[in-house]
Amino acid sequence: MGFVDATSTLINPRARRRRLLRKRFLRRPLAIVGLIVALTFITCAIFAPVIAPYSASATDFNALLAHSSRHHLLGTDELGRDVLSRILWGARASIEAGVFSTLLAMTVAVPIGIIAGYYRGWVDAVIARVTDVLLAFPFLIVAVGLAAILGPSLKNATIALGIGAAPALIRVARGEALALREEDYVRAAVANGASDLRILTRHVFPNMLSTLIVQATVAIPAAIIGEAVLSFLGLGVQPPTPSWGVMLADAQSYLSQAPRLAVYPGVAIFLCSLSFNLLGDGLRDILDPRTTR
Amino acid sequence: MGGFLLRKAGAALIVVFLSSIVVFIGIRALPGDPAVALGAENRDPAVMAAIRHSYGLDKPLPVQYVKWISKALRGDLGLDSRQLPVGHTIVTRLPITLELAFLAILIGTVIGVLAGVIAAVRRGKLSDHTATASALVGLSVPHFWLGLMMIIAFAVDLHWLPASGYVSFRAHPIGNLEHLLMPSLVLGTGLSAVLMRQTRSAMLNSLSADYVRTARAKGLSERVVIGKHALRNSLITVTTVVGLQLGALISGAVITEQIFVIPGFGRLTLDAVNERDYTLLQGVVLVAATGYVVVNLLVDVAYSLLNPRIRVTGATNQ
Repeated sequence: MGFVDATSTLINPRARRRRLLRKRFLRRPLAIVGLIVALTFITCAIFAPVIAPYSASATDFNALLAHSSRHHLLGTDELGRDVLSRILWGARASIEAGVFSTLLAMTVAVPIGIIAGYYRGWVDAVIARVTDVLLAFPFLIVAVGLAAILGPSLKNATIALGIGAAPALIRVARGEALALREEDYVRAAVANGASDLRILTRHVFPNMLSTLIVQATVAIPAAIIGEAVLSFLGLGVQPPTPSWGVMLADAQSYLSQAPRLAVYPGVAIFLCSLSFNLLGDGLRDILDPRTTR
Repeated sequence: MGGFLLRKAGAALIVVFLSSIVVFIGIRALPGDPAVALGAENRDPAVMAAIRHSYGLDKPLPVQYVKWISKALRGDLGLDSRQLPVGHTIVTRLPITLELAFLAILIGTVIGVLAGVIAAVRRGKLSDHTATASALVGLSVPHFWLGLMMIIAFAVDLHWLPASGYVSFRAHPIGNLEHLLMPSLVLGTGLSAVLMRQTRSAMLNSLSADYVRTARAKGLSERVVIGKHALRNSLITVTTVVGLQLGALISGAVITEQIFVIPGFGRLTLDAVNERDYTLLQGVVLVAATGYVVVNLLVDVAYSLLNPRIRVTGATNQ
């Protein structure tokens, strides 16, 4: 078996690379821990209705601000709602905002960045100025504006986070395209008479994919914290929908009575973003040996 | 040098101009007719028309924009819903946030640069691992939550520091610092984590550079090599990072001021949204965007002073 495996990987360079990457990944225990924890949070987000012991809004008036017990593992809040269940349900808003805002930012930023870096000239200059304008509006200011125009909601918070993450991604994609256009295979494609669209989608984009994946694992935790901030300020998820940020906002009134209410959601945000950061650091070391720290 | 600065200043001016258009259009996109708000209960079409005329709302948008921006350039940002001048409100609130930001940058830079240098010099040792791990924690922890935890520990439990509020430095210098210590720590930790990582990798780069080897070969002490040769070149990176982190700092100030009930610029921004005070919001956002661009222009200038290579090659693009 081993012999057959070896030849097939020798013949197929893609399989060989994949195997090399897997081997490098398995040598990084922190990245593996990051992956496992991140997947756990994603599972919680998807299967919250099944996993959570109670519904997120079920109130138990016999147990207000209760300490942890057999019935309520992490205790209850001021309305007698189960904290553990609310944290499990709250993972939905965080993962949704983290993943979708990053996807939005990628969809907007990557084509713009590629065009700027590949064509250079005045297009590049114009895009650079537009990026500067975007950068001049911190994500919280954009979110504040969107909440004022469209009303506060998870969707609008996600859009604001996506816009906030776009400028950095535009710069990354631009830098990559700038370097890739000088590659021999791109020049060969140009000489072969390939259309610009074909070159950009078949040669430039696939080759910056690993950099983009690393960027995504950095953008997701930032967006997860961003969602918590916006929901905390009342600009994101609206109660009674559970969200870690909303839970922290509620807990603020009970800091002296029940400080634990402020502890658990924060720990959840921390672990969730830490897991993505660990994964991102690991992936960067594996995929992009140039930037080994 | 002059040409480089002129180009940078020109680009900054264009960005400020475009930003002001974004702000102007953004505020016009808000729901609700300002004339209806100004007319209160009176919905008489003649009154509405009179209000629109007196506020210039019947003019085409470009005309309104020119009128607004020319007034704004003279420091007149209009009157908020309480008929107070927006410019004056911003001028009274801004120094509080600037003090907070200054303290946060100070804390963030001292901790971040120091930890970054130590980690790079002692690469692979325990102190490097500790610093790198702390930076990762600092990046992953939600800072406003850190603020809540600090309030529980130092204000509620230990009674060491006030949980919220603000007193001016002139009225009570020690009270002022007591009130701002936790907020600036909260705001500074995120910055220090980013700076630690950047300083570490910049230091690792310069420590392996030829001029450092030359300096060592000359027999200079390790202290001089690290402090004078390696660190000075790494500080160029640090300057840029602080400039780029300004946006995060503004966002951070909004939530920090909310948690610690500090009546600064960030709270003013939230109040403007919550009270649907659009003139105020317009002024606040314009000032924030302009401030961001101006500070980054200053960073570019500092950058070119620190790094002559940029001036010569003309710094084509970032």
